[in-house]
Parts: sequence; structure tokens; C-alpha cells
Amino acid sequence: MKQIFKKILLIGVMLIFTPNLAADEQTDLKEHFLKNIDKVILIVEDKILSKDKRNKDIISVLTPMFDFELMAKLSLGKAWKKLPKTDQKRFIDLYVKRMEKSYSSKVDSYNNEKVEVNKIEQPKKNRIALVTDLISKDDSFEIVYKYYKPRKPKSEKDSWLVYDVEIKGVSILKADKAQFKEFLQTKNITELMDVLVEKQ
Amino acid sequence: MRLVYLVFMVFFIIGFSGCSSKSIEKPQEVLLSEKVDNSVSASDDEFEEFEEEMKAEEIYDPFSGYNRAMTSFNDGVYEHVFKPIAKGYKFVLHKEIRLSIRNFFHNLDFPMRLVNNLLQGKFHNSYEETQRFILNSTVGLLGLFDPAKSEFEIQSHEEDFGQTLGFYGVGAGPHIVLPLFGPSNFRDTISMYPDSLLSPIDSGISSERKEYVVALSDFEYFSIKSLEKINSTSLSMDDYEKLKEDAVDLYPYLRDVYEQYRNKQIEE
Repeated sequence: MKQIFKKILLIGVMLIFTPNLAADEQTDLKEHFLKNIDKVILIVEDKILSKDKRNKDIISVLTPMFDFELMAKLSLGKAWKKLPKTDQKRFIDLYVKRMEKSYSSKVDSYNNEKVEVNKIEQPKKNRIALVTDLISKDDSFEIVYKYYKPRKPKSEKDSWLVYDVEIKGVSILKADKAQFKEFLQTKNITELMDVLVEKQ
Repeated sequence: MRLVYLVFMVFFIIGFSGCSSKSIEKPQEVLLSEKVDNSVSASDDEFEEFEEEMKAEEIYDPFSGYNRAMTSFNDGVYEHVFKPIAKGYKFVLHKEIRLSIRNFFHNLDFPMRLVNNLLQGKFHNSYEETQRFILNSTVGLLGLFDPAKSEFEIQSHEEDFGQTLGFYGVGAGPHIVLPLFGPSNFRDTISMYPDSLLSPIDSGISSERKEYVVALSDFEYFSIKSLEKINSTSLSMDDYEKLKEDAVDLYPYLRDVYEQYRNKQIEE
């Protein structure tokens, strides 16, 4: 009887403490994320910097955080694999530029907002989602940063990388996927890339 | 003594489980990446995994031709009518005033939020909505200010009938782009009617319900509605412009953003 009791206790204790291991990983990521946000805010608030220099600095903080290449691939979905290598490379370049520009223009409207991490979710071992709130004076909304851990660490990149951002529940990756898919139903990839060039 | 034994056990287990899980994890990862290296590159394999995750549900869109045309129409109206008016309006009225006007209209929609929160069994939210309405209508000077949020940190809980239907599992139905209102779907479009019955402004126009609110003539109704629209446009213009910047193809982009946004609202 005592033996059984001990065994149950053992299992119980193990169940209580094992999540802590994952929790360490989560807090590390959270702190790293907040540190980066602070860096971005410092750059934005530095009024002496020229706009170009500012955007460059911001992008240099963000680039190790995000896996823009993976986002580019995923945004095309199945169409990606059918692309010749040269088009793949060109598309990635254009997509990365587009993301950078989109982020910079969003930062332009920054006005003393604060970022708070509300919740950390880990649906899988190699996926973590940081649920954050962007809080401004008269509004606040939810932004979720979705991270994954690449099997092979990438050079000049963090060990956890953002592959999607959800703003008020809208995944930018899914929205891109939807519009690219529809675009490619009637037009081809060269035309898509032409539009991306035009938008730069 | 037994306690000491137990404490020792606990620490031993923590240490042990930590070690064991790590020592098991490592070789697995090595094995995986080795296997991957032999066949395809690691990123390709990860790509497959993400493909599965990113699979978005197809949005049912039998009226895509009409929807696309209506999106261009709405965008044209925005560019040539709403935007210039809202710009002038924005120039004349300070942001604080425009926020107050928005608060006023938002406060009037309290019955809609209350009923839909109740219909979904969200009693705590209904209670908070009621608190907000009472506070903002009195201390907040007929809803022009939002002391409930700024002083008491009571958040609003946006619910409409479309969300209520979604809550009970009613699907979105075909996507429909409404003239002037923009993206919607079948469920949300028919839900506008029950919600309008709970709106003091919208129900003011229908002749049978004059007891609910001061009756409005067509002209008054149109003026109030225009003010609400221009005011909200003046506050949300930048959002729409940014969406447009990110759009390669405006119609499917807005469609997807709308449906994702609504699904999130229903989930909450």
C-alpha cells in the first residue's frame, strides 16, 4: 500500500516540476523580446536620428528576431516549390524589403505606446507564442508574436525566431497567403513581383 | 525523519527529471537533423510542418465578382468622398473632441452589447458593461467621456448579434461586401437587423418603435449617421491606409483580414 502511495507521490511531484523546465525557456524568450522592444523604442525616441538611419537601426534590431525568409516561403504556400531558384531568391528579397517597409511605417505612428507581455503559450515544444498588448493612451490591442525554434540554429539569427504576427487576431502571414493565392489564380509570379517592386 | 527523506526525494526527482529530459532530447534532435540532412534540407522539412499549421480555411466566396467590384466602389467612395471630408473634419476638430463624439455613439450602443453579452451567458461582462453605462452616462457627461475605463479600468466588451450567432456555432456563410459598410458575410449582415432594433438611433427611424427614443426624421437620421461615419473615419483613416499599403490585391486581403478578425472576436 505504502509503495503505491510513494509511486503516486513520485509521479505527482514529477508532474508539478517538469513544466518549470519549459517555463525557463519561456521567460528567457520574453525577456529577450522585451529587451529588443526597448531597443526599438530608444531608437524611435531619438529625435536626432534621420529617418533613414532610424529605419536602418530598427531593422538591424529586428532582423535577428524574425525569420523573414521562412515567412516569404510560407506566404506563397504550395506555389513556392514550383518556383525556379532565381525567382525564389528574388521573391524572398522583395518580401523581406516589404516586411521591413511595412514595419517601419507602423513605427512611424508610434506615440508613447507601451508593450506588455500578457501571456506565454507553448502549443508545441518548438513553438512559443508571446501574447502582448500594445497600450496607448486611448486604446490597447493585442499583438501575438509567434516564435519557432529552428532545428538547426541559423547564423546571425536568434535561437527562437518570429514566423508570424497576429494583430487583433489577424495573422499577417495568413492574410498575405490569401491575397497572393488569389492573385496567382489569374496572374503569374512575375506580375506579383512587379507589384511588390512597385509598392517599394 | 520521514520529512527529510521526502524533501530529499523531491529534490532528487527534480534534478533527475531535469537531467533525464535533457539527455533524451539532445540525441533526438541530432538524429532528426541527421536524417533530414540525408534527404532534403532542414528548412524544407520545416516548411512542410508549417504548411500544415498555416492551412487557412477557404473562405466561402460565391459572389467574388460582385464583391470585388463593390470593394473597388467602396474604395473609390472612401478616396473621393469620405477621405476628403474626414480630412477637413480632422483639421477642424481636435482629436479629444472627436474621441468624445466616438465615446458618445459607443455609449448609445450599450443595449446591443448588454443583450448580446447576456445571450452568450457572459454575465460578468454584462455586469461590467452596465457599470460602464451608468458611470459614463453620468460622471462621463452623457457618454462623452470614458471615466469607467480611464479611472476604474473597466474595459468594454464588444459583442454584436453576429458574434452571438457565431458563439452558438452559426457559420459565416458567403462573404459579402456591403456598399459603404465594407466587408461582411451573410451571418453578420442579417445580424445588423436585430442589433439595429437595440440601437436608439437606428430604431428611431422605424416608425413602430417611436416609444424607445425620440423619433427621427429621415434627414435627422441621415445627418447623425453621417456624423458618426465621418467621425469614426477621421479616427481610423490611418489604419485603412496602412492596410491598403500592405495589400497587393485589395479585395482578397480585406476579405481575409475581416474574416480572421471576426473569428477572433467570436472566440473571445
